[in-house]
Amino acid sequence: MDFRLTEEQELIRSNMREFAETYVDPIAAEIDESARYPAEVIEKLAEGGWMGMPFPVEYGGQGTDYLTYAIAIEELSRSCAATGFTMSVHTSLSLMPIFLFGNEEQKKKYLPPLAQGKHIGAFALTEPGAGTDVGAATTTAVLEGDEYVLNGTKTFCSNGPVADTYVTFAWTDKSAGRKGLSAFIVSKGTPGLKVGSHFMKMGIRASQTSEIIFKDCRIPKANLLGKEGDGMKIAMNCFDHGRIGIAGQSVGITQAALDESINYSKQRIQFGKPISKNQAIQWWIADMATDINAARFLTYHAAWLKDQGQPFTKEASMAKVFCAEMAMKHTVKAVQIHGGYGYCKGFKVERLMRDAKITEIYEGTSEAQRMVIAGTVLR
Amino acid sequence: MPEILCCFKWLIDESYIRASSSGELDLETVDYKLSNYDRNAIEESVRLQEEYGGTVSAITVGLPDSTKGVKDALSRGPEKAYFINDDSFENLEPSQTAAILADIISSQINYDLIICGEGSSDLYAQQVGPRLAEKLGIPCISYIQKVQIEGDRIVAEKKVEDGIEVISAPMPVLLTVLPDINTPRIPGLKDTLGASKKPVINISKDDLTVSYEAKIHTNAIIAASMERNCQKFGSETEDIANLARALAKEGVIK
Repeated sequence: MDFRLTEEQELIRSNMREFAETYVDPIAAEIDESARYPAEVIEKLAEGGWMGMPFPVEYGGQGTDYLTYAIAIEELSRSCAATGFTMSVHTSLSLMPIFLFGNEEQKKKYLPPLAQGKHIGAFALTEPGAGTDVGAATTTAVLEGDEYVLNGTKTFCSNGPVADTYVTFAWTDKSAGRKGLSAFIVSKGTPGLKVGSHFMKMGIRASQTSEIIFKDCRIPKANLLGKEGDGMKIAMNCFDHGRIGIAGQSVGITQAALDESINYSKQRIQFGKPISKNQAIQWWIADMATDINAARFLTYHAAWLKDQGQPFTKEASMAKVFCAEMAMKHTVKAVQIHGGYGYCKGFKVERLMRDAKITEIYEGTSEAQRMVIAGTVLR
Repeated sequence: MPEILCCFKWLIDESYIRASSSGELDLETVDYKLSNYDRNAIEESVRLQEEYGGTVSAITVGLPDSTKGVKDALSRGPEKAYFINDDSFENLEPSQTAAILADIISSQINYDLIICGEGSSDLYAQQVGPRLAEKLGIPCISYIQKVQIEGDRIVAEKKVEDGIEVISAPMPVLLTVLPDINTPRIPGLKDTLGASKKPVINISKDDLTVSYEAKIHTNAIIAASMERNCQKFGSETEDIANLARALAKEGVIK
């Protein structure tokens, strides 16, 4: 067993750190406040090759392993969880299903501009009445000649307002149960595709989220991803990959909370000494550092399993639920360490606490992760 | 088209150094990085290549386990690296580093231009560049903030106290550069991944013509500490007199 990262992985981590400190830290508070999409940062990420990390060079990617990708998401999220999530959704939920389930023609057409970051990918599964219960979706796809006609409304579509390519899901045969859901690729500008307004969220505010409405939206038959009926399988596979990204994001958020807490507690003087000299603060910080270590290993292990070609569904869920709940718990503590200042805009921990909450909700709630884990260990 | 050689040092990242209360440095858990000013040296080499063509190679002297540093340097643009390494090359002092570099460069490497950082970001002795130029018998222009190539000459702007000195010298020439000269680019993913595929020429101690002994020995490195003597005084006449007496006692005023 070897816990060391490769020299390449270490360099990639420090380069992403430097990138984030240079380009993301200076704007992170502003894009949170204004809920602005940091197009200029995404462009720079694209230039550096970060928008298509774990895909082969022939499809415009960089050919890294998934562990290296998780490390990059972690470091980016340490500066801005919203920017980290934009990259994560694009990579894990949009490129990954096209790469894994697309035919050669689809891969050649869609992957290069996405992997080079010239196009942004989005994932549209959730519906107003179908969150964790994916089967409650109502969007339909009816084959008419050489086209599928999509009708329905998707909500909470991450990257929705800025995407060029959507991976979405609709029933091709509602009577077939889980086997009736299918996955499709839809391009921006397709008649009948309407992007709703941007949701104003509690956290990760710079990540763009909207409704996506399909009204008699006709897409070529060739845009079916996999076979008819593969939708549920593809969606679940997307989540397996996405959850490693969210776990990495959560580790990044918590690491930032620890960084801030260490700095603040060393310089905040109360009762004539830095508050870091108080045992209560020391124990909170010790717990934070310990949990981050555990969370990081869970995340890296899940990514490593994926890289070894082994099953990783259970481990991705374990990493996701542990990391998300850790992020929530410790960002609350980080605010507590900062006292009244931590409750105010302008202190990073205030943003971190709001950003952390979503990690327990999206790409499968903590409760859904426990369903996955229990389903595996009780089998 | 110039053949450019840039020198770099792989050193302890000072942000990881912890000092004990007695001032002893804890180097157990440190990480390493490319010397700050050497990033500028590499960047300027690559920038000149982009403008004038030619080649860029990087060279370093260090411990055999500094391979990550070699990759880091290569990810910033040079197309190959000369890695002079030996287990004994730890804490080399500037005269040794310059002598080893000169030995290898004069016997194995073609160059028109050598670029170094103004100093290393750990010891900051600022000696390796000038010493290396002296050993190679080539002109040295130090503390450069701007450089261009005109024919077979280098024209460089050197920062001096009250102004800028513009100096021209025939190549081959050695420059040491200031951090103001450029903003080093941050290597992208493809740069880092590509670095592993670039050639590294490993050079061992056996390739040196002689061995170079240290001329100076560092006896200790301890953290600087500032003793604070916190006394409080009020604002009454007598308090101010006490303040003056206290300052006089400490020798601050006479």
